[in-house]
Amino acid sequence: MTYAIETNHLSKNYGKVSAVNDVNLCVKPGEVYGFLGLNGAGKTTTIRALLGMIRPSLGQVKVLGQALVVGGRGPWAQVGHLVETPSAYPELTVRENLDIARRLHGIQNSKAVDEVIGRLRLTTYADRKAGTLSSGNFQRLGLARALLHQPTLLILDEPANALDPAGIVEIRELLGSLARDNGVTVFMSSHLLTEVDQLADRIGIIHKGQLIEELDAARLEDMRARQLVIEARDLVKAREALADFGVMRLGDNRLGLKDRRAVETPELIATVLVNAGAPPTHLALEQEDLEDYFLRVTQ
Amino acid sequence: MNAFLSALWAEALKMRRSNVPLFTALGFSMVPLVGGLFMIILKDPEAARSMGLISAKAQLTAGVADWPTFFGLLAQSVAIGGAILFAIVTTWVFGREFSDHTAKELLALPTPREAIVAAKFVVIMVWTLAMTLLVFGIGLVVGALVDIPGWSVELFRTAFSDVLGSAALTIALLPFVALLASAGRGYLPPFGWTIFTIVLAQIAAITGWGDWFPWSVPALFSGAAGPRAGLLGPQSYGLVLMTSLIGLAATFYWWRSADQTR
Repeated sequence: MTYAIETNHLSKNYGKVSAVNDVNLCVKPGEVYGFLGLNGAGKTTTIRALLGMIRPSLGQVKVLGQALVVGGRGPWAQVGHLVETPSAYPELTVRENLDIARRLHGIQNSKAVDEVIGRLRLTTYADRKAGTLSSGNFQRLGLARALLHQPTLLILDEPANALDPAGIVEIRELLGSLARDNGVTVFMSSHLLTEVDQLADRIGIIHKGQLIEELDAARLEDMRARQLVIEARDLVKAREALADFGVMRLGDNRLGLKDRRAVETPELIATVLVNAGAPPTHLALEQEDLEDYFLRVTQ
Repeated sequence: MNAFLSALWAEALKMRRSNVPLFTALGFSMVPLVGGLFMIILKDPEAARSMGLISAKAQLTAGVADWPTFFGLLAQSVAIGGAILFAIVTTWVFGREFSDHTAKELLALPTPREAIVAAKFVVIMVWTLAMTLLVFGIGLVVGALVDIPGWSVELFRTAFSDVLGSAALTIALLPFVALLASAGRGYLPPFGWTIFTIVLAQIAAITGWGDWFPWSVPALFSGAAGPRAGLLGPQSYGLVLMTSLIGLAATFYWWRSADQTR
């Protein structure tokens, strides 16, 4: 199978500092891959290696089936990217900045610029100098440049950065529809874990330069810890009744159960509590969110 | 070729929208204006003193008010002033990509990096030559207005080739400025380099080794230290050419091969 992105034992050292260490990534065509990591984990270094901007100390990178050589001809006509913070020539207008990108991508059709301006809702700002844009619109300009040439692969570093909540939803829907309807592969890093959670088919977690976890979104669902949360008027009696289920105290008036029997058959727990004379006033199955999961695996 | 033309279009647009061409052209235009003022003063020092253009204590050693002196002044200004102003232009063309963080947008493109670097050098060359022609053109107008004596067509031809030659030698040394702006990722390293080379050029010229030091050659060519025939040899031009080629090759190599982390 030809992967959209494939790294084999990718490592990058800066002097004695290991920024990325032995990362093996495989992203299938049409997949949305969420790349998670704390600051300094190696996300941007990996992205720069995927774009041929840095030479790996060890290992190989293939993008759209082509092995990358720094400074060589890569498959860049089919790749859109946004690395770290977006950038633009401040004294040039939004349209001129995009026109430069259009020419450097060898696109003859000048309407491509207007189309992407409309798509990213930048029409009002098209003739405004990039240096005067708000950070949100600057981010949109960066995304517009990434999408201008209708790439089959998008490599995006924090695409939702600086966007307001409505903008985040809009970009999420745009990326989702590109992947769903046009088969575009999206490789995106983000610190907004809920964004990744809602969009990604697969998630990779990089920590201290190493890919410590890579899993399907469906598998992530299973991996996240679940627990049964209980509230009762007589918490002492309830706790005694549930001693066999590994009950834990959660704050002043809640109990938590991670025991598999409790999680899979909450009605059993309700029965035990009723029989013990401590009927539950609240009984709910709660699942660990991605933030908690992320923190758990990186600690 | 299409990729190069696209890159050239992009670089030309950046130049047109910037204030840097205007400011550097304005700065360089001062050269013939100041030269014209000198000519007025030299034509009649007593009148200049009485008008308050110069102090009574001023010692005038620049020469006489004629076209050869005026043209010599223009050529020297292009060689010495150009070393600074042309370096500013080069620093801006390359260094701005790092100060504006736009360099990363030039790397993963169907347009090869070499085409972009070549377009930058072409824009610098056109821009600096245009400034030289502007200075020479203004000089002709100023000289005519001041009514300097000693004009001849032959002198005009010689002066034109001297000014263009001084500019060409100065421009030939710019690739190292481009390299420093790229590898140093900004404005300060190339500025430092420019000052360093100007100081060294002075020392080399004073100690008599100017013909072997490429950065001394433009000023010596312009006649800043007297007629160039006795000061420069074929090796001087060869060293400028070699320095230029090494700088060009190093800049292209850096853009192609260096890790781009900003």
